Amino acid sequence: MDGLATFWPGGAALGQSEPAFANPIFFAPATSFALVDLLSSQQYLIAMGKINLTALRVRQTALSQFASGKTSKLPQWVDVVGDIPPAETLVRTRPPQHQLVQQRLKTITGTTKPQVVFQVQEKRRKPKKPSRTFMPVELKYEEDQLRTEFFRDHPWELARPRVLLESTGKDFEHYDWSRIEQPGKRLDGESVVQRQLWLLNNVPDISKSTAYDIARREFYRLRLKEDIQRRVAAEEAAAYGAEFGPSYMDIGMQQESEQYDKWVAWARNQAQIQGQRAAALSGAPDLGTENEVDAVEADESEEVATQ
Amino acid sequence: MIVRKFGMRQSRQLLAMSRRAPISARFNSAIPTGEPVVPVMPTQEPEPIIQADPVPRVENPLVEMMSAQSQAKTPAQQEESRRSKFHKLGTSVKASYDPENILRNPPKPSQVTLEMLLAAGTHLGHSTSRWNPQNSRYIYGIREGVHIISLDVTAAYLRRAAKVVEEVAARGGLILFAGTRKGQKRAVVKAAELAKGYHIFERWIPGSLTNGEQILGHCETRVVNALDEVLSEFKADLADRPSLKPDLVVCLNPLENVVLLHECGLNNVPTIGVVDTDADPTRVTYPIPANDDSLRATCLIAGILGRAGEAGQVRRLKMAAEGQTTYKPISAAELRLDPFTGLPPGGEAQKK
Repeated sequence: MDGLATFWPGGAALGQSEPAFANPIFFAPATSFALVDLLSSQQYLIAMGKINLTALRVRQTALSQFASGKTSKLPQWVDVVGDIPPAETLVRTRPPQHQLVQQRLKTITGTTKPQVVFQVQEKRRKPKKPSRTFMPVELKYEEDQLRTEFFRDHPWELARPRVLLESTGKDFEHYDWSRIEQPGKRLDGESVVQRQLWLLNNVPDISKSTAYDIARREFYRLRLKEDIQRRVAAEEAAAYGAEFGPSYMDIGMQQESEQYDKWVAWARNQAQIQGQRAAALSGAPDLGTENEVDAVEADESEEVATQ
Repeated sequence: MIVRKFGMRQSRQLLAMSRRAPISARFNSAIPTGEPVVPVMPTQEPEPIIQADPVPRVENPLVEMMSAQSQAKTPAQQEESRRSKFHKLGTSVKASYDPENILRNPPKPSQVTLEMLLAAGTHLGHSTSRWNPQNSRYIYGIREGVHIISLDVTAAYLRRAAKVVEEVAARGGLILFAGTRKGQKRAVVKAAELAKGYHIFERWIPGSLTNGEQILGHCETRVVNALDEVLSEFKADLADRPSLKPDLVVCLNPLENVVLLHECGLNNVPTIGVVDTDADPTRVTYPIPANDDSLRATCLIAGILGRAGEAGQVRRLKMAAEGQTTYKPISAAELRLDPFTGLPPGGEAQKK
């Protein structure tokens, strides 16, 4: 079999010598080699059922084709593929099980020095379904809950632009969350979350809400400072002669007043037409409907004539 | 100092004074030009011009600006020098991300780190509902309804694939890089350039391997020696040869290139492919579990494999220069044999 383990599903669970295997992909090593010799790869595919192992068995096929005289020369890559065997694609392993771990500093009664305590999330009482054994598990981190809480309280923080790109993937090495400002990172909601997490991990006997308040206060203070800086910069620029043009509010007001002006012109016109109509009808009230139609037609013909 | 100067300029007395017309910069000989003029003797060999700064640069540009201003005589000269120094103020961003960098200078397989793979986004898989359970081995977990590919597995499989590319290149095998998605063109071409291989960035024409005589029959083939020098005397012997087949196919998007991989299976060609969580890993011989939808990720993987091929080619040519080969070379007499009957030229006529 050339070091290839091709059992699916779960060769280890069912045992390799299990004869009554539902799927026809299971085969004994001795017969498999004969299969390759006898069948062309196309037929082989069909014989294998759903899973096509042609790509994984290129070396065996090349060797058998050479042995049977189909090819006169072995390809150059035969020993390469022999030295570096293909991956064990179809062997299922148990996926990594992720647990939520919390780190806290706690003073235990009777001692003066606080100790690091790790709290692991409780295991579920009901065990997992057997069919879910090989399914990947949800990744959980402690920040997730903090993040949800922060952005629930500050939904407009999500509307701010954010850099998602990482150039080296090593940005975290420059960060030190003992303070909220970081070099090369813009202050945002994530700063609050990371700062709160650092406080929870490193300050003895701190509660979640206290850490949240501390981190939030620092954040608000810096945001205020940013606002002041921005305002002062704008004032300074204006003092040196910069012109920023009309604001969005001004543009909106201007557009609105343009629409009002249009409406005034239209309304004046309508009022004039109605006044003319009323004047025409005042003499003969019985022939109102016919006259009205005639008047409108006359108006239209006049307009055409003027155009 | 600066404040006082600004104050002077803004004062009314200075504004009231009659000023000289500004002197155009090209008539101003006091301003130093960028490069020092090196006189070249006609008898001497042309030496490379050393671009050393004639004046050592002062660290603080403000100090430099002020000193330049004090040296300048006329107000126009002062203004000119101030303007030229002004552009040197501020910071220079050094470690910024350049998307071209990964194309121009791809990393070697030994330089691959998990952070690099993470930054390129190779760990992002597809929605959990679209997964192929055969990939469960490569999946680290689920995050926001998306499968996350394990980065250490990606790195291990990438290094293994790079080793294969290197060894095949060192044995003089033909390597074909295929990436037919939009935007993969440059990465594929660059990888093929590095590995001295071949590339496809448009559609794979079905039958290029199984019906090669019809589709690729008009293409040029060459006989080269171990040092990659073309031997034109064998041109006539290449007339009725079957089309060449690659020894290794690297596919950046196996999902769209099912036909290519199927033909490789029929022709018994080993394949390397970038397998996302929704792809079938059994379609390729050496899967690289990674995100195939991100151009940066596929660019990185193609670049690494290209670099591996480059190393293999260098090794092969070095050995060839010493008169050795990692493969069994074909002899001239063997090359002259008829490809179908296996007889020497004119052998059939003699037989009759």
